[in-house]
Amino acid sequence: MSVLRPFKATDMFKFNNINLDIWTETYGIGFYLSYLSRWPDLCSVQEAPSGRMMGYVIGKAEGSNTEWHGHVTAITVAPEYRRLGLARKMMGLLEMVSDEIYKGFFVDLYVRCGNSVAIDMYEGMGYSVYRRVREYYGNIGLGKGGQDEEDAFGAFSHADV
Amino acid sequence: MVLMFEEAYKQEPSNEELGMQTFFANARAGHWKSAQQIATKMYKQFQEDRYLYWSVMSAVLQANDPATPAAMRTILYKLAHRIITSSPTPSYQSNDRFHLHLSILRELELYDDAHKLLDSDVGKAICSTSLSCNEIRRDIWRKRGMIVDEGKLATRRILDKHDRNWLEFLSILDANFSYFSSSDGSPPSHVEGLEQVEKTQELFTRIAEEDGPKDRSAALALLELEKRARNHGISKDPKRLVTLMQDYFTRVGDKACCFEDLKPYLTLEENDLTRWTSFLRAVPASFTTPPELQRLINSHKLLRCNLTQLELSVEAETARATLYIEQYLEGLKLGLNLLPTELQYADDLALLAANTLVTLWKFTSDEQYLFNAVTLLEFALTRSKQSFQSRLTLIRLYRLLGAPSLALDHYRAMGVKQVQNDTLSHFLLSRASTFSLASIGDLTLVTECLESTQIYLSNSQETADFIVRAFQGERYSQIPEFIIFEEQLDNSLQRDIVKMEHLRMRLTHEQITSDVIDMELIELKFIFDRTHHDNRDFDIMSNYQPKISSDTFSQTNLLGMNESHGWLKSFLKVYIRAFQQGSDLDDSVEEKLLIGDRPKQSFGADSRPPLRQRLAEALSEEELAELTQDERLFVQFARALAEWLEPYHDYTRPPPSLVLAEAAKQTELKTGYPLKGVDLAVLDRSSSPLKKDEEPPAVVEPPEQVSRFFETLKGRFAETLKNSSPVQSLHVATLIQEAFLLFTVETLRFKATALVKANKFGALVASFKTIRSDAAAVLRDISTELVTQSEVVATAESRKAFVDACATVTARGIDIDFTLNVAKKVTDARKKVIGGVGKGIGRVCSTYAN
Repeated sequence: MSVLRPFKATDMFKFNNINLDIWTETYGIGFYLSYLSRWPDLCSVQEAPSGRMMGYVIGKAEGSNTEWHGHVTAITVAPEYRRLGLARKMMGLLEMVSDEIYKGFFVDLYVRCGNSVAIDMYEGMGYSVYRRVREYYGNIGLGKGGQDEEDAFGAFSHADV
Repeated sequence: MVLMFEEAYKQEPSNEELGMQTFFANARAGHWKSAQQIATKMYKQFQEDRYLYWSVMSAVLQANDPATPAAMRTILYKLAHRIITSSPTPSYQSNDRFHLHLSILRELELYDDAHKLLDSDVGKAICSTSLSCNEIRRDIWRKRGMIVDEGKLATRRILDKHDRNWLEFLSILDANFSYFSSSDGSPPSHVEGLEQVEKTQELFTRIAEEDGPKDRSAALALLELEKRARNHGISKDPKRLVTLMQDYFTRVGDKACCFEDLKPYLTLEENDLTRWTSFLRAVPASFTTPPELQRLINSHKLLRCNLTQLELSVEAETARATLYIEQYLEGLKLGLNLLPTELQYADDLALLAANTLVTLWKFTSDEQYLFNAVTLLEFALTRSKQSFQSRLTLIRLYRLLGAPSLALDHYRAMGVKQVQNDTLSHFLLSRASTFSLASIGDLTLVTECLESTQIYLSNSQETADFIVRAFQGERYSQIPEFIIFEEQLDNSLQRDIVKMEHLRMRLTHEQITSDVIDMELIELKFIFDRTHHDNRDFDIMSNYQPKISSDTFSQTNLLGMNESHGWLKSFLKVYIRAFQQGSDLDDSVEEKLLIGDRPKQSFGADSRPPLRQRLAEALSEEELAELTQDERLFVQFARALAEWLEPYHDYTRPPPSLVLAEAAKQTELKTGYPLKGVDLAVLDRSSSPLKKDEEPPAVVEPPEQVSRFFETLKGRFAETLKNSSPVQSLHVATLIQEAFLLFTVETLRFKATALVKANKFGALVASFKTIRSDAAAVLRDISTELVTQSEVVATAESRKAFVDACATVTARGIDIDFTLNVAKKVTDARKKVIGGVGKGIGRVCSTYAN
């Protein structure tokens, strides 16, 4: 019960229910526009039948030669719409576009080491951890997480769509 | 900048890089006509496809520009069409070129041509991978009347591609129900339609079963189908709708989205409503797992939505609030192991309770309900730090209670950033001048105003660069969107509402001088002519009020009002008129002093009546409706004051030549350079400000709306003292202060005694003295009253009263000490604002009383 549609610039006026959540960062206008001006087809929105935004994904394509791949920069779903398979669908679209339009060899992403829910989801979709990056993320003030708070797992999946 | 590149490119037409930069310079400035011409030139010279597409896009953007007349628009689209069709390489080589091509065909209503492109193998392939091309395909098919085909395509996608996009389900339904309406001229075909509906029902039922809990689209689609069937009078089973709703609830009730999903189907007739209500009431009130708790929460939300007027009594609502609180505290036990970054499963029960308490407050005007609500939500936040919904509600309630510093703390805690300043700052800054302590040097709210405006600067500086980037990457689908975004943000209503609030605060803090008046005048005039876009987010705050009542956001409006275009217009008229009168600048002077810096005139400037005329226009009913009664009195005062003093200002204002001469002298002194564009030789140096051709206007008595204003509002202030919340008192007090400051602006010119003598305005000045001293006396009284109040609002007694009033929450288990702490914070916050505003009024009074 969601509409999957392209992310557009004016969505920045409508994403508060997603972005006020602590896990979702609100970047400057330039961040979103830089992605939309280069890889708009890797950015999509899940929208409720009521018109409310439920979640979105922002991605890009990068790398050279056999390292050419799709990358998930940000994927987020509003708290009230979690556990509906929305992220999975957005990832599916991104993988398809990365594979068929960009001809990427794989898709990768970073995830906070402490975000076990997200890690489970990605692993369920066929992603596996291939490295740990120190202090990739900003501190979100958890306090006791230690290294897990700011470190990231790089995870990738082969585009076996 | 643009001219510079254009010149350079003219000199070197074979320099491709220069050509591109010239194109980009024009694109950044939105000069689409020039951009189109340059792109065409570049294509001729360098034969690169993308320049052709740049020229097409530029023609389209020029067509879309609001300043382009309708006839021209079509011509430009036709031009774009000609160019794109002449492209040696077909547009389908890139998704974005294809999208551009289709959008041109759509605009020109060449649907058959568009369909041909889309129906090709390439077209189909593109639409299966590109969401944006598929979007435009849908639109074109619909415009072409291909509703049934869309339905068929959607069925294939759902079955073969396992697509569960809600749009596909809607397409099938639209196709089915098109048989029952003759929107395309052909007679409705009931039989066929019934068959289709039957088939679809089977299809959706099957998919719902197969998908099970993994995907609810089909289950929801069945509901939508039944609803439409009912609307068309073809529903076979009158019980089916509620049965489906029950099924849906059974399937999806353990997810938070269930409530929102079912909302469109809640308009039920008596029998249905009874069945539905009993079903929901049967949801167990006890729970041992989060899904069970979620079901209970959903049942409460759904039941609440359909409450009737009879069911909304004080007793019933009190019972509900109590129940929600009890269940909330019980529900917290399920969340003991949750991380501090996670929301509590029970959070929505606290919000339901808060919503109910707000209803009770609305019924009774008794503050105790708000005290209970804030205490409960503060408690909820200790257990669920990330619950921004709790914070949003607290911000609203604290402002209603006259505890704005607490609202500010919560606003800051939410970490509003970047573009959210435009959409969310209204929570903090709406009518913020009511609470501003700038008059005593506390610039907290002033600073918040300024910080919230950073985003507009970023927009001006950055967005245009990304339009260029989109051209470089040939992402044509994005360019119109970027332009719309830039425009909407630049002309944001909130931006200018905040500007107005900032001005109102500023005047209580900074010395009122002619420099301030001049600067503000120029800015305000520009704002006045803007077409504003309202980007404010009012939907963000959750609403669990019954359908028959207003939503929570409306119920918690400060002073019962939510300002909009009309409010802004009213205040702009007040201030522009006052500043215009107080200023020596007129249009010709402004033009000469602001060469190059003048903001670009908005579209339609020439067709409007002159500014003076528009300022003098009375406010429309819609505009007045956005003002509180006291604001109306203030606006009327300002209007009467301006009308009274206009002739004297106009007579005494020095002629433009003199103003410019003075400005030129100052500029030369300061910078060592003469003022550009001002030819001093032409100015008539001999005209003296004191010698005029006509006789000065005779002095008349002040109108009653001016002379009696302060007395009248003093009476209104006295009335507000009966309220327990200080908000009304602060509102009236700050308006009286504002009127006094406005009066100062309007009478500043007449401080020059030589001027007064020469024009025989002695009686006028005497009138001013009377009004000023009356106003000062009223302000001093109010100041004293507020300061006195502040001294008794935060005492052990008042804190105890607060705690006692919170019996509803404390009886259910919220700790008394915790409540006392909230009491202390609320009463201290009240003390701070009441005392601060009071002292500030005293200061303003002494600054300008003479």
